[in-house]
Amino acid sequence: MQARVTRRAALGGAGVLVLASCGGDHPPPAGKPPAGSGAGLLNSIVALEHASVAAWAAIASALSGKGRSQAKVIRRRELQHVARVSALVRDLGGSPPKGRPASEYALMFPKLTDGADALHFAHDLEERLVRAYLDALRSLPEPRQRRAAAEIAAEEAQDLSVVQLLSGEPASTKAFVTGTS
Amino acid sequence: MSVTRRQIVAAAVGAAAVPAGPAAAQATGADGLERLLALEHRLESAYGAALDQGVIDPVLGRSLSGQEREHVRGVEVALETLGRRPPRLRVTPPRRAALAGRPAFARFALELETEAVAGYVEVLGGLDAPGLLQPLGSIMTSAAQHQVALRRVLAEPLLAVRG
Repeated sequence: MQARVTRRAALGGAGVLVLASCGGDHPPPAGKPPAGSGAGLLNSIVALEHASVAAWAAIASALSGKGRSQAKVIRRRELQHVARVSALVRDLGGSPPKGRPASEYALMFPKLTDGADALHFAHDLEERLVRAYLDALRSLPEPRQRRAAAEIAAEEAQDLSVVQLLSGEPASTKAFVTGTS
Repeated sequence: MSVTRRQIVAAAVGAAAVPAGPAAAQATGADGLERLLALEHRLESAYGAALDQGVIDPVLGRSLSGQEREHVRGVEVALETLGRRPPRLRVTPPRRAALAGRPAFARFALELETEAVAGYVEVLGGLDAPGLLQPLGSIMTSAAQHQVALRRVLAEPLLAVRG
Protein backbone atom coordinates (compact mmCIF):
# COMPACT_ATOMS: atom_id res chain seq x y z
CA MET A 1 0.00 0.00 0.00
CA GLN A 2 2.77 2.35 0.94
CA ALA A 3 4.49 1.68 -2.36
CA ARG A 4 1.28 2.39 -4.26
CA VAL A 5 0.68 5.68 -2.49
CA THR A 6 4.23 6.76 -3.15
CA ARG A 7 3.97 5.78 -6.78
CA ARG A 8 0.69 7.58 -7.18
CA ALA A 9 2.08 10.65 -5.49
CA ALA A 10 4.97 10.61 -7.91
CA LEU A 11 2.67 10.29 -10.91
CA GLY A 12 0.34 12.93 -9.60
CA GLY A 13 3.23 15.24 -8.85
CA ALA A 14 4.54 14.86 -12.36
CA GLY A 15 1.09 15.50 -13.75
CA VAL A 16 0.66 18.65 -11.74
CA LEU A 17 4.09 19.79 -12.84
CA VAL A 18 3.34 19.44 -16.51
CA LEU A 19 -0.11 20.95 -16.22
CA ALA A 20 1.17 23.92 -14.28
CA SER A 21 3.88 24.52 -16.85
CA CYS A 22 1.44 24.15 -19.72
CA GLY A 23 -1.44 26.18 -18.44
CA GLY A 24 -1.20 28.19 -15.28
CA ASP A 25 1.51 30.64 -16.27
CA HIS A 26 0.31 31.45 -19.74
CA PRO A 27 0.27 35.20 -20.34
CA PRO A 28 -2.85 37.06 -21.37
CA PRO A 29 -3.29 37.32 -25.13
CA ALA A 30 -1.28 40.07 -26.75
CA GLY A 31 -3.15 43.14 -27.84
CA LYS A 32 -6.82 43.75 -27.69
CA PRO A 33 -8.76 42.05 -24.88
CA PRO A 34 -8.92 44.37 -21.88
CA ALA A 35 -8.02 43.34 -18.36
CA GLY A 36 -10.95 41.68 -16.65
CA SER A 37 -12.40 40.33 -19.89
CA GLY A 38 -11.58 36.76 -18.90
CA ALA A 39 -9.22 36.32 -21.86
CA GLY A 40 -6.13 35.59 -19.76
CA LEU A 41 -7.91 32.94 -17.74
CA LEU A 42 -9.47 31.40 -20.85
CA ASN A 43 -6.07 31.26 -22.52
CA SER A 44 -4.63 29.41 -19.52
CA ILE A 45 -7.45 26.91 -19.86
CA VAL A 46 -6.80 26.47 -23.59
CA ALA A 47 -3.16 25.70 -22.81
CA LEU A 48 -4.23 23.23 -20.14
CA GLU A 49 -6.61 21.54 -22.57
CA HIS A 50 -3.88 21.25 -25.21
CA ALA A 51 -1.77 19.43 -22.63
CA SER A 52 -4.75 17.23 -21.77
CA VAL A 53 -5.21 16.19 -25.39
CA ALA A 54 -1.58 15.07 -25.49
CA ALA A 55 -1.91 13.41 -22.09
CA TRP A 56 -4.94 11.39 -23.18
CA ALA A 57 -3.07 10.19 -26.25
CA ALA A 58 -0.32 8.92 -23.93
CA ILE A 59 -2.88 7.38 -21.59
CA ALA A 60 -4.63 5.62 -24.49
CA SER A 61 -1.31 4.14 -25.59
CA ALA A 62 -0.78 2.64 -22.14
CA LEU A 63 -4.26 1.09 -22.00
CA SER A 64 -5.86 -1.71 -23.97
CA GLY A 65 -9.35 -2.91 -24.84
CA LYS A 66 -12.23 -0.93 -23.38
CA GLY A 67 -9.89 1.40 -21.52
CA ARG A 68 -8.13 2.43 -24.69
CA SER A 69 -11.37 3.06 -26.57
CA GLN A 70 -12.73 5.19 -23.70
CA ALA A 71 -9.45 7.12 -23.58
CA LYS A 72 -9.80 7.90 -27.27
CA VAL A 73 -13.33 9.18 -26.72
CA ILE A 74 -12.15 11.40 -23.87
CA ARG A 75 -9.30 12.73 -26.02
CA ARG A 76 -11.85 13.74 -28.67
CA ARG A 77 -13.89 15.53 -26.02
CA GLU A 78 -10.80 17.42 -24.87
CA LEU A 79 -10.19 18.49 -28.47
CA GLN A 80 -13.73 19.88 -28.54
CA HIS A 81 -13.00 21.77 -25.33
CA VAL A 82 -9.90 23.31 -26.93
CA ALA A 83 -12.04 24.50 -29.84
CA ARG A 84 -14.83 25.83 -27.64
CA VAL A 85 -12.65 27.76 -25.21
CA SER A 86 -10.45 29.04 -28.06
CA ALA A 87 -13.58 30.44 -29.70
CA LEU A 88 -14.37 32.35 -26.50
CA VAL A 89 -10.89 33.90 -26.58
CA ARG A 90 -11.32 34.89 -30.24
CA ASP A 91 -14.69 36.45 -29.42
CA LEU A 92 -12.80 38.77 -27.09
CA GLY A 93 -10.37 39.71 -29.85
CA GLY A 94 -7.58 37.54 -28.49
CA SER A 95 -5.42 34.82 -29.99
CA PRO A 96 -5.60 31.50 -28.17
CA PRO A 97 -2.33 29.61 -27.67
CA LYS A 98 -1.47 26.78 -30.01
CA GLY A 99 -0.56 23.35 -28.72
CA ARG A 100 3.05 22.28 -28.46
CA PRO A 101 4.48 19.35 -30.41
CA ALA A 102 3.51 16.01 -28.86
CA SER A 103 7.19 15.25 -28.27
CA GLU A 104 7.49 18.28 -25.98
CA TYR A 105 4.56 17.22 -23.84
CA ALA A 106 5.82 13.63 -23.76
CA LEU A 107 9.03 14.75 -22.08
CA MET A 108 7.04 16.21 -19.21
CA PHE A 109 4.57 13.37 -18.61
CA PRO A 110 5.22 10.67 -16.05
CA LYS A 111 6.38 7.33 -17.38
CA LEU A 112 3.31 5.15 -17.81
CA THR A 113 4.55 1.59 -17.58
CA ASP A 114 1.17 -0.10 -17.33
CA GLY A 115 -2.57 0.47 -17.24
CA ALA A 116 -2.59 1.24 -13.52
CA ASP A 117 -0.07 4.05 -14.02
CA ALA A 118 -2.17 5.39 -16.86
CA LEU A 119 -5.37 5.39 -14.81
CA HIS A 120 -3.69 7.12 -11.86
CA PHE A 121 -2.41 9.82 -14.18
CA ALA A 122 -5.82 10.09 -15.84
CA HIS A 123 -7.52 10.47 -12.46
CA ASP A 124 -5.21 13.29 -11.40
CA LEU A 125 -5.55 14.95 -14.79
CA GLU A 126 -9.36 14.93 -14.76
CA GLU A 127 -9.49 16.19 -11.18
CA ARG A 128 -7.22 19.06 -12.22
CA LEU A 129 -9.53 19.88 -15.12
CA VAL A 130 -12.69 19.81 -12.99
CA ARG A 131 -11.00 22.11 -10.50
CA ALA A 132 -9.84 24.50 -13.23
CA TYR A 133 -13.34 24.97 -14.63
CA LEU A 134 -15.01 25.28 -11.23
CA ASP A 135 -12.39 27.87 -10.21
CA ALA A 136 -13.00 29.72 -13.47
CA LEU A 137 -16.70 30.12 -12.64
CA ARG A 138 -15.80 32.69 -9.98
CA SER A 139 -13.60 34.77 -12.25
CA LEU A 140 -15.23 34.77 -15.68
CA PRO A 141 -17.22 37.99 -16.06
CA GLU A 142 -19.72 37.06 -18.79
CA PRO A 143 -22.70 34.71 -18.37
CA ARG A 144 -21.97 32.90 -21.64
CA GLN A 145 -18.37 32.30 -20.52
CA ARG A 146 -19.60 30.86 -17.22
CA ARG A 147 -22.17 28.70 -19.01
CA ALA A 148 -19.45 27.26 -21.22
CA ALA A 149 -17.19 26.65 -18.21
CA ALA A 150 -20.05 24.95 -16.35
CA GLU A 151 -20.92 22.68 -19.29
CA ILE A 152 -17.32 21.66 -19.74
CA ALA A 153 -16.88 21.11 -15.97
CA ALA A 154 -19.80 18.69 -16.15
CA GLU A 155 -18.14 16.84 -19.03
CA GLU A 156 -14.82 16.65 -17.19
CA ALA A 157 -16.64 15.19 -14.17
CA GLN A 158 -18.14 12.57 -16.48
CA ASP A 159 -14.68 11.76 -17.83
CA LEU A 160 -13.51 11.38 -14.23
CA SER A 161 -16.40 8.98 -13.64
CA VAL A 162 -15.29 6.82 -16.53
CA VAL A 163 -11.75 6.74 -15.16
CA GLN A 164 -13.17 5.64 -11.81
CA LEU A 165 -15.16 2.86 -13.50
CA LEU A 166 -12.09 1.68 -15.42
CA SER A 167 -10.26 1.59 -12.07
CA GLY A 168 -12.95 -0.65 -10.58
CA GLU A 169 -14.56 2.11 -8.52
CA PRO A 170 -18.14 3.43 -8.60
CA ALA A 171 -18.95 6.12 -11.17
CA SER A 172 -20.13 8.49 -8.48
CA THR A 173 -18.78 8.59 -4.96
CA LYS A 174 -19.30 12.17 -3.76
CA ALA A 175 -22.19 14.56 -3.44
CA PHE A 176 -19.90 17.50 -4.23
CA VAL A 177 -17.35 16.87 -6.97
CA THR A 178 -14.77 19.60 -6.50
CA GLY A 179 -11.77 18.08 -8.26
CA THR A 180 -9.96 17.39 -4.99
CA SER A 181 -9.51 13.83 -3.69
CA MET B 1 -20.38 17.60 8.73
CA SER B 2 -18.21 16.55 5.80
CA VAL B 3 -15.51 18.80 4.45
CA THR B 4 -17.49 19.43 1.32
CA ARG B 5 -20.58 20.37 3.26
CA ARG B 6 -18.47 22.67 5.37
CA GLN B 7 -17.15 24.21 2.17
CA ILE B 8 -20.69 24.83 0.98
CA VAL B 9 -21.67 26.58 4.18
CA ALA B 10 -18.42 28.55 4.32
CA ALA B 11 -18.84 29.63 0.73
CA ALA B 12 -22.41 30.63 1.43
CA VAL B 13 -21.34 32.74 4.39
CA GLY B 14 -18.68 34.32 2.21
CA ALA B 15 -21.19 35.00 -0.50
CA ALA B 16 -23.43 36.78 1.98
CA ALA B 17 -20.62 39.24 2.62
CA VAL B 18 -20.17 39.96 -1.07
CA PRO B 19 -22.08 43.01 -2.31
CA ALA B 20 -25.27 41.78 -3.89
CA GLY B 21 -25.67 42.08 -7.62
CA PRO B 22 -28.63 43.68 -9.34
CA ALA B 23 -31.85 42.72 -7.56
CA ALA B 24 -33.43 41.41 -10.75
CA ALA B 25 -30.50 39.10 -11.42
CA GLN B 26 -30.61 37.82 -7.84
CA ALA B 27 -34.34 37.14 -8.14
CA THR B 28 -33.84 35.26 -11.39
CA GLY B 29 -31.04 33.23 -9.83
CA ALA B 30 -33.16 32.43 -6.79
CA ASP B 31 -36.07 31.38 -9.02
CA GLY B 32 -33.73 29.05 -10.88
CA LEU B 33 -32.49 27.63 -7.59
CA GLU B 34 -36.05 27.01 -6.44
CA ARG B 35 -36.65 24.99 -9.61
CA LEU B 36 -33.44 23.07 -8.95
CA LEU B 37 -34.49 22.44 -5.36
CA ALA B 38 -37.74 20.91 -6.60
CA LEU B 39 -35.78 18.76 -9.02
CA GLU B 40 -33.35 17.59 -6.34
CA HIS B 41 -36.29 16.66 -4.10
CA ARG B 42 -37.81 14.69 -6.98
CA LEU B 43 -34.54 12.85 -7.52
CA GLU B 44 -34.18 11.99 -3.85
CA SER B 45 -37.76 10.75 -3.77
CA ALA B 46 -37.27 8.80 -7.00
CA TYR B 47 -34.19 6.95 -5.77
CA GLY B 48 -36.00 6.19 -2.51
CA ALA B 49 -38.99 4.79 -4.39
CA ALA B 50 -36.71 2.77 -6.67
CA LEU B 51 -35.01 1.24 -3.64
CA ASP B 52 -38.39 0.40 -2.12
CA GLN B 53 -39.54 -1.24 -5.35
CA GLY B 54 -36.26 -3.03 -5.99
CA VAL B 55 -35.74 -1.39 -9.39
CA ILE B 56 -32.22 -0.12 -8.72
CA ASP B 57 -29.11 -1.88 -7.49
CA PRO B 58 -29.25 -1.30 -3.73
CA VAL B 59 -25.67 -0.09 -3.38
CA LEU B 60 -26.04 2.36 -6.26
CA GLY B 61 -29.49 3.46 -5.09
CA ARG B 62 -28.39 4.17 -1.53
CA SER B 63 -25.36 6.09 -2.75
CA LEU B 64 -27.30 8.27 -5.20
CA SER B 65 -30.15 8.82 -2.76
CA GLY B 66 -27.71 9.97 -0.05
CA GLN B 67 -25.99 12.32 -2.47
CA GLU B 68 -29.35 13.81 -3.53
CA ARG B 69 -30.13 14.49 0.12
CA GLU B 70 -26.89 16.48 0.36
CA HIS B 71 -27.72 18.32 -2.88
CA VAL B 72 -31.08 19.33 -1.41
CA ARG B 73 -29.38 20.77 1.65
CA GLY B 74 -26.74 22.50 -0.46
CA VAL B 75 -29.36 24.23 -2.64
CA GLU B 76 -31.34 25.21 0.46
CA VAL B 77 -28.24 26.87 1.93
CA ALA B 78 -27.66 28.69 -1.36
CA LEU B 79 -31.24 29.98 -1.36
CA GLU B 80 -30.92 31.15 2.22
CA THR B 81 -27.73 32.98 1.25
CA LEU B 82 -29.70 34.85 -1.39
CA GLY B 83 -32.22 35.84 1.27
CA ARG B 84 -34.95 33.49 0.19
CA ARG B 85 -36.49 30.93 2.50
CA PRO B 86 -36.45 27.47 0.90
CA PRO B 87 -40.04 26.63 -0.03
CA ARG B 88 -41.83 23.63 1.44
CA LEU B 89 -42.35 21.40 -1.51
CA ARG B 90 -44.85 18.67 -2.13
CA VAL B 91 -42.91 16.08 -4.08
CA THR B 92 -44.70 14.15 -6.79
CA PRO B 93 -43.75 10.47 -6.63
CA PRO B 94 -42.46 8.85 -9.82
CA ARG B 95 -45.05 7.59 -12.29
CA ARG B 96 -45.79 3.89 -12.04
CA ALA B 97 -44.24 3.30 -15.47
CA ALA B 98 -40.96 4.73 -14.20
CA LEU B 99 -40.81 1.98 -11.59
CA ALA B 100 -41.65 -0.86 -13.97
CA GLY B 101 -38.12 -2.25 -13.91
CA ARG B 102 -34.46 -1.34 -13.74
CA PRO B 103 -34.14 -0.04 -17.32
CA ALA B 104 -37.35 1.99 -17.05
CA PHE B 105 -36.24 3.56 -13.81
CA ALA B 106 -32.71 4.27 -15.05
CA ARG B 107 -34.17 6.02 -18.13
CA PHE B 108 -36.51 8.09 -15.95
CA ALA B 109 -33.73 9.06 -13.52
CA LEU B 110 -31.34 9.85 -16.37
CA GLU B 111 -33.85 12.33 -17.80
CA LEU B 112 -34.17 14.04 -14.41
CA GLU B 113 -30.38 14.18 -13.93
CA THR B 114 -29.97 15.62 -17.43
CA GLU B 115 -32.56 18.28 -16.64
CA ALA B 116 -30.70 19.06 -13.41
CA VAL B 117 -27.33 19.51 -15.13
CA ALA B 118 -28.91 21.85 -17.69
CA GLY B 119 -30.62 23.77 -14.90
CA TYR B 120 -27.37 24.26 -12.99
CA VAL B 121 -25.62 25.47 -16.15
CA GLU B 122 -28.30 28.14 -16.61
CA VAL B 123 -28.15 29.24 -12.98
CA LEU B 124 -24.35 29.34 -12.95
CA GLY B 125 -24.38 31.51 -16.06
CA GLY B 126 -26.73 34.09 -14.64
CA LEU B 127 -26.23 34.10 -10.88
CA ASP B 128 -24.57 37.22 -9.51
CA ALA B 129 -23.20 35.69 -6.30
CA PRO B 130 -19.56 34.71 -6.85
CA GLY B 131 -19.26 32.79 -3.58
CA LEU B 132 -22.03 30.39 -4.60
CA LEU B 133 -20.81 29.52 -8.08
CA GLN B 134 -18.18 26.97 -7.09
CA PRO B 135 -20.29 25.11 -4.51
CA LEU B 136 -23.27 24.93 -6.88
CA GLY B 137 -20.89 23.87 -9.64
CA SER B 138 -19.71 20.98 -7.47
CA ILE B 139 -23.32 19.77 -7.15
CA MET B 140 -23.72 20.02 -10.94
CA THR B 141 -20.58 17.93 -11.50
CA SER B 142 -21.96 15.30 -9.13
CA ALA B 143 -25.21 15.19 -11.14
CA ALA B 144 -23.11 14.74 -14.30
CA GLN B 145 -21.47 11.71 -12.71
CA HIS B 146 -24.90 10.31 -11.88
CA GLN B 147 -25.63 10.45 -15.61
CA VAL B 148 -22.65 8.18 -16.25
CA ALA B 149 -23.76 5.74 -13.54
CA LEU B 150 -27.25 5.55 -15.07
CA ARG B 151 -26.00 5.19 -18.66
CA ARG B 152 -23.97 2.23 -17.43
CA VAL B 153 -27.13 0.63 -16.06
CA LEU B 154 -28.72 1.17 -19.48
CA ALA B 155 -25.64 -0.24 -21.25
CA GLU B 156 -25.45 2.98 -23.29
CA PRO B 157 -22.27 4.80 -24.33
CA LEU B 158 -20.98 6.44 -21.16
CA LEU B 159 -19.82 9.63 -22.86
CA ALA B 160 -21.21 11.73 -25.67
CA VAL B 161 -19.05 13.33 -28.34
CA ARG B 162 -20.64 16.27 -30.15
CA GLY B 163 -20.71 16.47 -33.92
